[in-house]
Amino acid sequence: MVKEKVVVAGGTSKKARITGNDASAMGAILVHLMCALGLGIAVWVSQSVESVSLISDPVRTLCVISAIQCPTVILLFSLYRRNPQTCSYLRAVIRGALVLPVGALANALGAIALGAPVGTQYLWRTIWWSCMMSAFTFVPAGSVFGSSWCDWQRIFAYTKPVWFLDYMVCLPAHGAIVGAWFGAWPMPLDWERPWQDWPICVSYGAVLGYLLGMFACVGFISHHNRQQLYKVD
Amino acid sequence: MSHSLGCSRFAALTVAAVLIQLVGLSLFIFGFFPVKPALSGISGPESFRAPWDDAGENQSDLALTPHQIRRLYQDLSEIPSPFDQLILMVIDGLPAEFVLGKDQNPPRKAFLDAMPYTQSLLSSGVAIGFHAKAAPPTVTMPRLKAMVSGAIPGYLDVVYNFNTQALQDDNIIGQLFLAGQKILMFGDDTWLKLFPDFFARTDGVSSFFVRDTVEVDQNVSRHLGDELMRDDWDIMILHYLGLDHVGHIGGRDCFLMVPKLKEMDDVIERICNTIQMQDKDQGRTLLVIVSDHGMTNDGNHGGSSYEETDSLALFIGAKDQMHRLDGSQWITVDQVDIAPTLAALFNIPIPKNNVGILIQDALHFLSEEQMLRAMELNSWQLLRLLQAQLSWLKCINLEEELVVSKCHGSTENMFCCLYGNAAALHRSWKSKKMSMSNNRGDYNNAAAAYNEFLKAASQWLSRRVTDKPVGLLALGVTAMLLSCGVLLCLLFHLNKAVEGDAKLPGLENSPRSLGLATAFIVAATIGNVVSMISSSMVEEEQYNWHFLTSAHFLLLLRETLQALPAITGKVSNHNARAGYRVCCLLLLLISGRILRGWHQGGVNWTNLPDISKWLELRGNYYVKNTEIVALSMVMGLSLYALSVLWKRIKVVSAVMLSLLLPGILVLRHIIEYQDDTLTSSSNIATLSAQKIYYILIVISVVTVVASPWFILLKKKNSTCSMGWAKSVASEAIIKVSLHDTRDTLYMIGWALLLCWCLVQLLLQQPINSMPLSVLLFQVYLTMLYSHTEPPQKQWVEVATLYYLGMVGHYAMGNSNSLATIDVAGAFIGTSNYSTLYSGILMFINTYASPMLLILSILVHISVRNVHPTLQGNDWRQILMALLGFPCLVPLALNSVALTAYTIVLLLMQNHLFIWSVFSPKFLYVAAMTLCVDVGVFIIAITVVYVQTIVAYISFRAMSMGRQWQAMDGLQDKNVNVVHRT
Repeated sequence: MVKEKVVVAGGTSKKARITGNDASAMGAILVHLMCALGLGIAVWVSQSVESVSLISDPVRTLCVISAIQCPTVILLFSLYRRNPQTCSYLRAVIRGALVLPVGALANALGAIALGAPVGTQYLWRTIWWSCMMSAFTFVPAGSVFGSSWCDWQRIFAYTKPVWFLDYMVCLPAHGAIVGAWFGAWPMPLDWERPWQDWPICVSYGAVLGYLLGMFACVGFISHHNRQQLYKVD
Repeated sequence: MSHSLGCSRFAALTVAAVLIQLVGLSLFIFGFFPVKPALSGISGPESFRAPWDDAGENQSDLALTPHQIRRLYQDLSEIPSPFDQLILMVIDGLPAEFVLGKDQNPPRKAFLDAMPYTQSLLSSGVAIGFHAKAAPPTVTMPRLKAMVSGAIPGYLDVVYNFNTQALQDDNIIGQLFLAGQKILMFGDDTWLKLFPDFFARTDGVSSFFVRDTVEVDQNVSRHLGDELMRDDWDIMILHYLGLDHVGHIGGRDCFLMVPKLKEMDDVIERICNTIQMQDKDQGRTLLVIVSDHGMTNDGNHGGSSYEETDSLALFIGAKDQMHRLDGSQWITVDQVDIAPTLAALFNIPIPKNNVGILIQDALHFLSEEQMLRAMELNSWQLLRLLQAQLSWLKCINLEEELVVSKCHGSTENMFCCLYGNAAALHRSWKSKKMSMSNNRGDYNNAAAAYNEFLKAASQWLSRRVTDKPVGLLALGVTAMLLSCGVLLCLLFHLNKAVEGDAKLPGLENSPRSLGLATAFIVAATIGNVVSMISSSMVEEEQYNWHFLTSAHFLLLLRETLQALPAITGKVSNHNARAGYRVCCLLLLLISGRILRGWHQGGVNWTNLPDISKWLELRGNYYVKNTEIVALSMVMGLSLYALSVLWKRIKVVSAVMLSLLLPGILVLRHIIEYQDDTLTSSSNIATLSAQKIYYILIVISVVTVVASPWFILLKKKNSTCSMGWAKSVASEAIIKVSLHDTRDTLYMIGWALLLCWCLVQLLLQQPINSMPLSVLLFQVYLTMLYSHTEPPQKQWVEVATLYYLGMVGHYAMGNSNSLATIDVAGAFIGTSNYSTLYSGILMFINTYASPMLLILSILVHISVRNVHPTLQGNDWRQILMALLGFPCLVPLALNSVALTAYTIVLLLMQNHLFIWSVFSPKFLYVAAMTLCVDVGVFIIAITVVYVQTIVAYISFRAMSMGRQWQAMDGLQDKNVNVVHRT
């Protein structure tokens, strides 16, 4: 019931550009809950099954996180592909999987431009870290928007989300990027802690930012949803 | 025009703000870095009496001859001097680690093998070695002063390091001289400057030719044979500079290091053999080997890392006099401790401001009584110094007190009590000795009590930051705050003037540039300033700058991506322009990353691999080739940039040709003279460098002065000059002349940039040439970026340039430690020593990158379209439009940094790292202020000059045009008349 109202409200206000499904409040909350759960499971798996942590073995941990988070995100967000009439679920999954390496490359290049170390001993850390970042940032957009430049530009260049779905893609992605950026600040300090190594504190920052982004997204959507409900009533 | 502030008032306020800033800065520096010692005068016979003992105070010792003074001191001290002669051998820059090892480990095998004789002395116990901790700044002159005076010299001594002046403070050399000792000095001429008239025979060598490692030491050693045979001297000082030079050339692992250590070992062996031969018949000689400071792995010094402060103190006496001390190699003393130790050994008063304490392990041959007496003298001297600093310190009833009590309470009570305990124990030991009933335990108690007092007093004295004049500091900070406020207000005002008019049509369709990138610059400036509170952020500041600048470029990239696909209604080349910008930004990011990877700067992570280390490991050949590639890149890029102008101004080819000459000369200099070590100090290299300086100065001055007149040439040649002058109004003339101004500025800007780069290629270490050319490339890219429509906010662009300058500063191997200043570069092309020239060269060398980027603002002014609203019909308004942001932004950014950092320094004045981390950074910030002020002055003066000349020429052309017009009109009339008729 709630879902219908939202769609109606969205449909009337945003007119006919909505061809496909925008996320419902409940759906958004569920998706984010699942994403967070996936992250939690990944951390649990790495700690109890593999018995490694981000500090003791960042490569393995990031690998586990990426391995669990990437499929979770792809499968979840493919449900909310922008144009379900023309694009099958499988296609959305495939394009999400295709965006994964591209997004990883973009993240890795960005990190290197900002000063991440290059060198063979950091190669795998960078690779798995960027896979994880890709799952946080670009993979959802890939699954949802495909190759629509307008949508990508709106989300990432302008940061002007319009629909709930935009918020679901945009806020966690920006949270992860901003979190990673802030996470890099303690790296040059001379505290000589193991977590100051690349990319441990950056990953912490990214995960924290990602979670905060999801939280903000859920908060925003439920707030907005209530307002819409009142309006409709 | 919406801004009410006139151009002249604007300029006047800016100049006033800068002047206030400079005044405030100098006030603060003089307040914060005091240079005066705590006690004036020199110690006399009274130092052998207790501080409260006034007896004989009026007794004048002025009338005494040196010999009498010597006798008097000997009698008063109650310690028969164990030695007659002293050889003080200073090995500049030798880390104690090379001789004594580190952390209970023996030195490296190669160094052990290089000094077989010294090591045998150490293992047999003839020599006793100590790690003598040097206080920062670890440069030669302050360290020599510390060693001979026992005082920690003022921080700013580092500035006087190249301008040595006679040492006015009380010191042991002066005391020995007063006591009639005959002193010889061979080696570093810093000693001659410190003690101009004290030496009987001298041979000063200069630390001027840093690349000479052989001659400097031969000039010292050649006197040994002769002087060791003679016995008419008492003190001989030998100061070997070679090892420091080796370090400066190739660091600790330089291939010259082992041979140099061997050479030093040979000298020690030679001296010891002679001493021992002499000992059989006559006087005893003490050989003290010290180093003034250590060196980092790269061979630099100046900072406060363990490697730099780990200096050596080695006492070599006669065999029977030194006891074998197990583990003495690992005893750490302070460098200032050498002064009181030598004073005790040679029966002279301890210098007045000494804060050092006796090295008791080096005095083991003294009897118990003598030892306690020496400690007593040391304690009295420290008590006097304490009394001078704590004026209310009055230890009353010390003589009567006999009870040993536990010490607590205020600082004064603490010292009184500690001293009282020691004195009481000493007295009880004495009385027991009278009754022949004393034992070792009593002595140990007394010695321990003295030690406790000495250590506490010494620590307190050396840690105590001397009183700072609060008024001076407050005035300085206030002035800086005021100037900062004025500059920021002016900046906001100017910005508001631009913003206020930005709502005009024509600018509507430019993307909202009040975006993230703009806000980020503000946030980054604040963030960077705030991060300076952390000492490790100061040490690793280069990461901040690179991180912030790259993030800024990434944000700009994002902003450009907003405009990438052409939305309907835009012009067709819009896409191309946005793509152009994306390329510029990507190249900027890549080149920035290369710069970041070039030098692993800072303090904590210097050992990580970087490009420069990799290149140096590959060998000299590669470094040199890189330098030649860099030179050709610099030449190619700037000549290409200049050639763009050729279509409009033909004269630019003359400038290009004239710039080729110094380019070729620099290339020749690199190929021929910049090889290694010995040849480069030769005369020809110096002459060649001087020639290049002169040519570059002439070219840059002539270009600046003459290029506006080139426009005149152009005007004369162009036949249409009358045409346009005839028909257009003065506004259009201004527009055209603005065009001329910008062309001229473009030419001047690139010529100056190239000249600056060529100077740097000459001065910088070869490894730094590539970062320089990459920086120039970045300048070119930013120019391309700002030339592309739509314009960014101008102040953001200028701030970007400033940021790039800071990134480049660290990319060229600089850091916030004084150790990274390239001293060798300061002497290239100077034939005789001059503080001024060397200082200027060092400044040019160190501030290569910020100055380059500030000079590039000239080009920036020329390529950027002047904001339409700031263009007026008035010449002054145009000047303001041209100069407003380019001058204000660097001044304001630097002013913010300076003011904030000054406050940080004040807040941190009790921090442990105040002298090692925060103060050097402050000196850098102060020098940066100078750099920005000079740079902005050059920009302002050039733009004003060019604009004035161009305006003059245009108006003359206009008036000529009017005349022509009038004549034409006359002719027309005539024609009309003719027609009519």
